[in-house]
Amino acid sequence: MTGSNNNIYMPFKAVIEEAIDMGCNVKFFKVIPIPPHPPLSKGGRGGFIDYIPGQFFMVSQWGAGEAPISVTSTRGLQRHIEFAIKKVGAVTTVLHKLKKSDTIWLRGPYGNGFNADAAKKRDVVFIAGGIGIVPLRSLINFIQMHKKQYGKIFLLYGAKNPSEILFKEDLKAWNKKGIEITLTVDVKDESWKGNTGVVTGHLDRVKTDFKNACSYICGPDIMIEKTMKELTSRGMPDRQIITTLEARMKCGIGKCGQCYHGIEYICTNGPVYTYEEIKKRRVYGP
Amino acid sequence: MKKDLILNKNYLSYWLRQLRKEMQLIGPMRGFKGDFVFKSIGQIHEISLDCPASAPLPKEFVFPHVEEMFEKVFSEQEIKDLQNNDKRIIFGIRPCDMSAINLIDRFYSSKFESSYDLAHPNRKSEDSYYMARRRNTVFISIGCNNPDPTCFCNSVGTGPFLESGFDVQLTDLGDRYFVQTGSKAGKTITNSYRYLFEEAQRQDYDDQYEIMLSALTKFEKRINLEETRQKILAGKVRDSFWEWVSTRCFECGGCVYECPVCTCFNIVERTETDKSPRPPLRAMAFTKGGQGGIKGKRIRIWDTCFFKGFTRMAGGNIPAEKKVMRTKRWWFHKLLYYPEQFKRFGCVGCGRCTITCPGRIDIATISQKIKVEIK
Repeated sequence: MTGSNNNIYMPFKAVIEEAIDMGCNVKFFKVIPIPPHPPLSKGGRGGFIDYIPGQFFMVSQWGAGEAPISVTSTRGLQRHIEFAIKKVGAVTTVLHKLKKSDTIWLRGPYGNGFNADAAKKRDVVFIAGGIGIVPLRSLINFIQMHKKQYGKIFLLYGAKNPSEILFKEDLKAWNKKGIEITLTVDVKDESWKGNTGVVTGHLDRVKTDFKNACSYICGPDIMIEKTMKELTSRGMPDRQIITTLEARMKCGIGKCGQCYHGIEYICTNGPVYTYEEIKKRRVYGP
Repeated sequence: MKKDLILNKNYLSYWLRQLRKEMQLIGPMRGFKGDFVFKSIGQIHEISLDCPASAPLPKEFVFPHVEEMFEKVFSEQEIKDLQNNDKRIIFGIRPCDMSAINLIDRFYSSKFESSYDLAHPNRKSEDSYYMARRRNTVFISIGCNNPDPTCFCNSVGTGPFLESGFDVQLTDLGDRYFVQTGSKAGKTITNSYRYLFEEAQRQDYDDQYEIMLSALTKFEKRINLEETRQKILAGKVRDSFWEWVSTRCFECGGCVYECPVCTCFNIVERTETDKSPRPPLRAMAFTKGGQGGIKGKRIRIWDTCFFKGFTRMAGGNIPAEKKVMRTKRWWFHKLLYYPEQFKRFGCVGCGRCTITCPGRIDIATISQKIKVEIK
């Protein structure tokens, strides 16, 4: 009965085609859904699940539970659905034990996803903190694919220490394709010759007109908050500051109430918000 | 002319008896120590019609405390859906609870208009477990001739008698019931036994009207939630007030469990074997996943936003860490956000939180306090 009935809580099966340890407690999974999975939307071609950057799946292993995990792949670029999962809680610990050709269960995609149109014809500034690069990678690749519609692309990426910088291959590839990348770490070691300190301290390196640029932020709460304020002070309008929030979620479809903040169910109305919405809709409230 | 009916009280138990043959009959009965509970009725005479207006809570028959969602034997590939499709009839539900269920219907079947899911704009998000139970349940509600001292349904427009939104509504006219049908399901269960009913006459309408008026005079509380809402919206209720409220909160979750409108839940997994009722350790289920018929069950249980762990994310970050944030959120959700989403308060005036709350910070008291103390 997998996925064939109307039960929205029914997960569908997917098989892990590749599981790579990325170091620092992050594991990278490439999964392929096994049909029959839920009906595809109009845009869904070739029997694949249709999703957009910024959406998430409820990933589960039977007996351990479900966890909301953002996709890091981009439809049209990668054949697989890709997740980069950090080991932090009960479910992710179990997910980390999985190997190639194991099955996992998925539900989704859920959430509103990034609105890439907001950045059209503008310079795009990506600001990532730590594991926050994961959902942004999906969007960076998406915007990179449709490069002609956008201006210059910047990436400001901060990690705790050099070994926690994820997606090093992608960073190289992006650099080749002309994305201006600034890396920074909190704690440097002998090998590190780059920048240190928080990401907001390196905004000067982004040579763009902030009033006209659009930024996508993802990272820890405190980093998001500080970055948004910093960008505002540089004159970026609130509606061009876009972030994605995290919350505890159990259903992903606005029923369980666990992600309820202010007036928003982060799972359905979010997780992507503009600074304008966050202020207006009291997302950080009450 | 309306087609309302009259049921002689002597025929009630015969009618319920017949209905019980078709589906499970649930009604209020006296439990062990004098508490009233809604239970599956074995003997018709066990039904306690004298129970207080808001004592037992029938919510759990449409939204159970523990709902089993899926079951999967580890060694097998398929998931079994445990959706409950039993047919039920719930007798003796009060108008406030009926309104609450109508409100939950709207919540659980709702689509979110806002920017929900750019990739799948028309995807439905209907809670299948709730809706399956709801579609298979018929309610016979009884209007409240004698509201409790804690009731204030008249102030929020959910009682003591409903004008719509019920399946069958009975009004006690002394020796007979005045019967109104408000839905297709309600018509079916009355029309199948039409010979038990008579058509209502002018006198019956008059009596019913009088009963309604007399019930309205018996309310002791006058709560104006709209006024409270306006004061909160105007920013007159300061954080120090909510701080005070939160110091009186015991975080017991009683108000949420007793609230007919509250619907938050948690989803957890349990593992069990056929042989032993004691669930095996999680780790064992994984290492020995392939053997021994170990089953994993995904269940959902009621959850309470007053608990600290309610918003705790993996890694231990708690967005609503301070008690005042959680306390405030509950009131804001009921008094501000429900009206914004559904044009109705998230409170039906049943007064259960007034009875339950050990800190005396229930909706009615707080609303009254805001009215009196904050100008």
